[in-house]
This record gives sequence, C-alpha cells and structure tokens, in this order.
Amino acid sequence: MKFKWGKRKPHCHIRGPFCHREAETRDRAIDELLEFIWNLRENGVSNLADLQSEASDPEARNILSYMEQEGLFAREGDKVYLKEKGEEKARGIIRRHRLTERLLMEIFELSEEEAEKEACKLEHILSPEVTDSVCTFLGHPPVCPHGKPIPPGKCCTAPEKSVKPLVMPLSDLDPGGEGRIVFISSNFPARLDKLSALGVVPGSIIKLRQKKPSPIIQVGETTVAVDPEIVHDIYVKAV
Amino acid sequence: MRKRGKNRGMESKDINRKSTKKIILIGNPNVGKSVVFNYLTGKYVVVSNYPGTTVEVSHGTTKWRGKNVTVLDTPGVNSLLPTSEDEIVTRNILLNEKDALIVQVADAKNLRRSLLISSQLAEMGLPFLLVLNMEDEARERGIKINYQELSSLIGAKAISTVATQKKNLEKITEELGDLREATLHISYPPALEEAVSQIADFLPAENISPRSIAIMLLSGDKSLKRWLHARLPESRVNEIEAIRRSCQAGFDQPISYLINQARLEKADEIVRRVTMINPIKRKRLSTRIGELSVHPFWGVVILIGAVYLLYQVIGVFGAGVAVDFMEETVFGEYINPFFLRWTERLAPVAWLRDLLVGQYGLLTMAMTYAFALILPIITFFFIAFGLMEDSGYLPRLAVMSNKIFRLIGLNGKAILPMILGLGCGVMATLTTRILESKRDRIIVTLLLALGVPCSAQMAIIFGMLSGFSPMLVVLWAGVVGLVLAVVGYLAARYLPGESSDFVLELPPIRLPRIGNILIKTLSRIEWYLKEAVPLFALSTFILFILDRAGIMVHIENGAAPFIKGVLGLPVETTQAFLIGFLRRDYGAAGLLALARAHALSAEQILVALVTMTLFVPCLANFLVIVKERGWKIGAAISGFILAVAFTVGGLLNLILKITGFKI
Repeated sequence: MKFKWGKRKPHCHIRGPFCHREAETRDRAIDELLEFIWNLRENGVSNLADLQSEASDPEARNILSYMEQEGLFAREGDKVYLKEKGEEKARGIIRRHRLTERLLMEIFELSEEEAEKEACKLEHILSPEVTDSVCTFLGHPPVCPHGKPIPPGKCCTAPEKSVKPLVMPLSDLDPGGEGRIVFISSNFPARLDKLSALGVVPGSIIKLRQKKPSPIIQVGETTVAVDPEIVHDIYVKAV
Repeated sequence: MRKRGKNRGMESKDINRKSTKKIILIGNPNVGKSVVFNYLTGKYVVVSNYPGTTVEVSHGTTKWRGKNVTVLDTPGVNSLLPTSEDEIVTRNILLNEKDALIVQVADAKNLRRSLLISSQLAEMGLPFLLVLNMEDEARERGIKINYQELSSLIGAKAISTVATQKKNLEKITEELGDLREATLHISYPPALEEAVSQIADFLPAENISPRSIAIMLLSGDKSLKRWLHARLPESRVNEIEAIRRSCQAGFDQPISYLINQARLEKADEIVRRVTMINPIKRKRLSTRIGELSVHPFWGVVILIGAVYLLYQVIGVFGAGVAVDFMEETVFGEYINPFFLRWTERLAPVAWLRDLLVGQYGLLTMAMTYAFALILPIITFFFIAFGLMEDSGYLPRLAVMSNKIFRLIGLNGKAILPMILGLGCGVMATLTTRILESKRDRIIVTLLLALGVPCSAQMAIIFGMLSGFSPMLVVLWAGVVGLVLAVVGYLAARYLPGESSDFVLELPPIRLPRIGNILIKTLSRIEWYLKEAVPLFALSTFILFILDRAGIMVHIENGAAPFIKGVLGLPVETTQAFLIGFLRRDYGAAGLLALARAHALSAEQILVALVTMTLFVPCLANFLVIVKERGWKIGAAISGFILAVAFTVGGLLNLILKITGFKI
C-alpha cells in the first residue's frame, strides 16, 4: 500500500457517496442533503430537479424547505447553490467522509464497501479535533481514495514546520531521520517474518540511513539494506 | 553469506554418526561463531552437507573433561522459526540432537536480537550458555552490559568474550558443565496461548518442548510437515491446522509476526534493565567508510576503484606477471624439460610418452594449464574475494547494484553469487542458496552458467585479448553483457514464481584479518585443485584417445561445415569446443593456443571467445546444477545455453561479415 494521491478506482462513484439510507434524524438528513448538493456541484450539475428527486418523500421535502429557511442553500431558477452557512457545514461533512474513507481503506485495509458504510456513519459524529488528528495522521491527504478533493481543514493550512504528520511512511523521512515504528503494512507474511527476525517491529526506533541507491535502515546496531517498497510499508511516528 | 564452508567439498558424511557428547554452536550470522569454533576445535575441521540438503555444517572435536566431544558449527540464524534453508537446518539440529551442550554465540552490541534467539532456546526447554561476543565492539559504541543481571533475568549463564583476541574463550568450556535451563518465559496474547496449549497437548514429548513446537506450528511453519506426519495420524495433523486457521482468523496480522513481536518486547525489557549506553558522538572511520561505500556518488567511485584494483591485481599481475613466471620460467624452463627428459629415459614406448608429454600430454597440457595458467589467477581472485568478504564490502555491492538487478526482476543479493562466479561457477551455483525464491535461484544459476566467465576462463580470455586493440575487449564484454541482460530479462519475465524481497543485513566495515584470509584462500585453492585437476586430466585423456583412435579427424570433419560456415572459424577450433564441454576454461585455453599461433584473425577471436564464454557450463558446474536444481532443469539449462551460444556466435559472425567490420 502506498500513498498515491489521486489514484482513481475504476468503480469510483460518479455522483459521490449517497448515505441517505442511514439518515434517521433530521440533522442527519440535513447533512445528507448538503453532501448531495456538494457532490452535484462537483459533478458540474446543480439542478433543482435532481435535488427534488433525491428528497422525494414528504418528510424529506419538509426538511428541504426547513434548510432553505435556515439559510443553508438557495435556489436560483432551476439551479441550487449553497449559502455560506451551508457551504461550511457541507465542507465539514465531505471532509470527514473522505478522510474516514482514506483511513479505513488504506490504513485499516477495509474493503471499499465496508469503508463506505462506516464513513457514512462517522461523517456525522467525528469531532473537529478528531478530524484534524486523522488528517494529520494521514499526512493531510488532498484527495479521497476515489480521487475527489478533500476540503482542507485548519490543520492543513497551519505552517508546514509546526505540524508534521504524526505518522508517515519511513520513506517520507529525510535520510538520517529517525522514528518509532507504529505499524508495518505488508500483505506479505514472509516479509514481516524476515523483518521481525532482524528486530524491525512496531515499537522499535528505526533510522533511515539513506534512500539511494537502495534504502538502508538501522535498528539498534543492526543495519539492513531493503527494497524501496519496504520503506514505504513501514509507518513511523517522529521521535 | 557464511564465511566458512561453502568453499569446501561436498562429501556428505553423516553428522549424526558418532554418539559422543556434542557441543552445538548457534547464533546470528556474523557474530564470530566460526572463530569460537576454530578456537575449540583447532585446525582439523570437516565440512559436510546436512543430510538431504546442500547446507554445509562444520564439525570438529575438542577435549572436554578429558573426553573427545564433537563440536557443530551451525549456519547462522536470525530466528529459529525458519525462513531460509539455513535456518531449517539449524532448527532441525536442535530438534534432533539429544543432550547436546548448546552455546549461543551472540553479538554483544546487538543484545536485543540475540535475546530473540535465547527466548526461543528457552522456549524449547534447552539449557544453554549465552556467549556475548565482540564485547570490544560493544564497548567502542558505549554499550555496557551487566552480565550478572542478564544471567539472572534469563536464567542461563551469560558471559562476554572477544573471540578474535581469544579473550575469555576458555570460560566457555568451564561453564559448559553447569548449563541451566533458562527461566526466560514469554507470554503471548491469551487467544494464542490457548491455541498453543491445545496443539501442545497433541504433541509427543521430544527433545524440545511441545510448547515450542506448538508455537512453530501455530506460526505456520511448513518445514515441520514431515516431522509431524511421522508422529501423528493424519486426522490430528488436520486438527492442528484447523486450530491454526481459526486462531489466525482472530488476528489481522500473521501469528508468526505477533509471536516475534511479543518476544522482542520481552527482549527490549531485558535490554533496558541490563544495558547502559553512553552514546559516543565521534563517528568511527569504519562507519564513515561504510557510509561512503553505499553513497549514490562516492559509492560508484569506490566501486570503480575496487574494480580497477581487482583488474590490476587479478588481470594484470595474476594473469600477466604471475602466469608468465609460472608458464615460461617454472614450467617452461624447469618442470616440463625435466619431465621430458625423464619420460624419454623411462618410457620407451612412444604412445606412453605421448600420453605424458605429447600434444595432449597429461603433464605438458593438463598440468601446465592447471598450475601455470589457472592457479596463479584463481589464487589472486580468492585473496581479493576474501578481502571483500571479510571487510564487509561484498554486501554493500548488493546495495549499489540492487536497482540494476531489479530491472531484470532480481534483487541486489544476486550480485554475490555473480561475483563469486567470476572465481568459480561451481561455488557460485552453491551460493545461490542465499536467494530466497526458487525462481531467483534458477535465473541466477542460468546466468552464471551462461555468461559469467570463471577466473580460469577469464585468465585465458585476458591472455587472448591482450595482444589486440581494447576494442576487442569492449565488444566481447558488450556482447556477453547484452546476452546476459536479455536472457535475464526474459527469464524473469517468463519464469513462474515470485521474485523475492531484498532484505540484506550489512555487517559493519571491519579491517580484514590477514591470517583468516590466507586460511580461507588456501582452503579454496585446495578445493579448486581437487575439483579441477582431475577433470583436466580426464579431458586431456579423452582428447588423447580421440586423437590416437583417429576419431578427432572425423569429429572435426563432421563439425567443420558448422564451425566454418556458421561461426566462420578454422576447423582446428573444433577440438577447443569439444573440450569446452568438459571445462570452458580448458576450451578457451585451446583457443588461446591457436591465437598464439596466429591462426585466428581479430574478428574470429571475437566470435570464438563470445561463443566459448557463452558455452555450456563445465562438467563440474553441470553436475552441481543437477544436484541443486534437478536433472530436468540442469538439462534444460545446458540445452538452452548451447543453443544461445551458437546462435549468438553465428549471428555475430554474420553481422561482422555483412558489415565488413574490422577490429
């Protein structure tokens, strides 16, 4: 697994994730509709008709008009657009959803389906602090696993120096950099066995001695030359 | 790579033959096991293959409490949960040797990894002595270990030594009488522990504890399959597998990995309690050299420097000065005239004279080639190789070349057998064992047999090329290199199987010990002579017979259209190719003789040399390929190589003819 921003999966959502089936409360329903409008806009359409067909049952219609009253969105002819308040809210939801997707799919290696399901739940409940932590943990990814932009949060715009990602692939360290191994994401059990026999396991302090021509890592007094893929797979926390 | 042994013969004596008490040395690679072994056993060492494998195990004897005991030097291991053939052998020795005295030799500056092995020995319920060697290197790095505390924490005695200076080594035999079963115990997560005890209940009480075997089985150790089937009914074996599967299902990570983590956690805890580190800021010179040798820029500079030095030592001095001296002075002026005189006097029969000192004479041809042409070169090669090995430079070459080898689907480790192949293909083929996947081993075996000229061959090639323009050298190397790259690429592409990871431990850069290198060189030369000289004699004898019986003429006539038409070479080269089937270098020597007689043009030399370089592996190499890879692969490789050699030679001739290129 590698961090490659913008990797687009063939079965990527055309219109973005729809989560309305999970929506139970009004707040959730509002979130879903805002998310829907955001996704429409990303796809270059902002048709009122689409929104109305999405919210076709009477209850949803009620919510839609409530949202309009609250100043979350407005209509202009047959188009809809988010107002400032709605924009901000939608932005947060999209950010939480896509960050969660990234976390679940790439770090926890959940299937796309499962990740999607969980992201739909978590997008409503993650606190801003947790969201920023996840964002930092992931190294402020600019796009979701489907290649859609993740709206940046406060943590992303903070000066580069003060906020370093908490956890990053060892390959992102500068040569000579050190970190504590948080986890090693490898699908090859033999690789894990070999590394662990050399003392390379989570919890160990690891030093990246060099990257070229081949990466060399050091744990204690053990120096090991490895393939570049292996350094990508070792996630470390700066010490 | 192991320091000892791979250079020795392949006689397979049964290690378990004697029933005397045994001392078993075990430990990580490069921790000085061999030095301890040499100290204990003195000079007399027998190296033999572990039954059923080509992994070599050295054994010797030492006096202990007035009795002779056998000492086994096992292959280095990083874990007793085997991931390589070497590790399987070492684990099996522990599994099978009853009542052995176990000495774990360890690197004092790498206590954590040493304890990973100690914890497994403790788990097996085997009493052992922990010898923390290279205490001087640890001290240099500001690492101080409280041995008393360590002994009490693991429950086995721990002592410190500096084997290269023989410091404290006498303590090993003193302490052997008092081995204790270690008390070190690792607890695993409850779900694992439960599965371990379930499996352990099925297992018979053996030399090592059921618990330790249960843990290996739970980790998915396939190398125990035979052992298991010999002891348990099929249903039980299946039951164990079912337990393993359901246990694994409860974890995201492989069980083996969790187990190693738990062991290392415990090791870390012990290390924290017994070591004091005063980090030493000053960078040692050796560290600095080590860093430069793998630097993207300086590494290349050093590499070029090393290659140049090798060329000067082996190519210019070895193949030039030393060979000239041996051939012209020693053999030309003394030995051969001496034999000529004596055979004339003592062997009145003409054919007997011919057999000894004729055109295909055992003395004049076979011995002269073996001792005058090849011995000087291979000697210098082995010295140079020993220096690279002992200084720690060899694995760093792998770092520099990993990228290139990845292009043809291999990894940097492949350079180790390739370099050794420049010495001797037989040794090199045996060394492919350091590559993990079968596919990688086959590819490297193929490339070695195809186009890596051994030093004997190289010597003769240098000899042939020396009188001509450097262009010839460049073209020869270029064509052979290109063929190697293309064949490597295609083989990697079309051979099934996965390429293996590049994970290679780099030992610290050390000043090589001259004595050690000389001993190694001598044993390698001894091995080489035993290996090569009989074959030289045999092939000369075959030539002699073919010549005497008049068959040679027929073969030459039969092959003439091909040799002349396709390769564009004179008919006399036929016999060179003929003996090339027995030894490529000997075949090349035949070409050299023709070249010296000015029977070949520069273009013909190029075609002949390229064909001979790519020619079938020598008989010994062929046999070792068969031994390591089986008949099918051995035959396939040889057939393929023969086809490639003549195709490339033919094409080269065609291109030279069409373009009218003159070298």
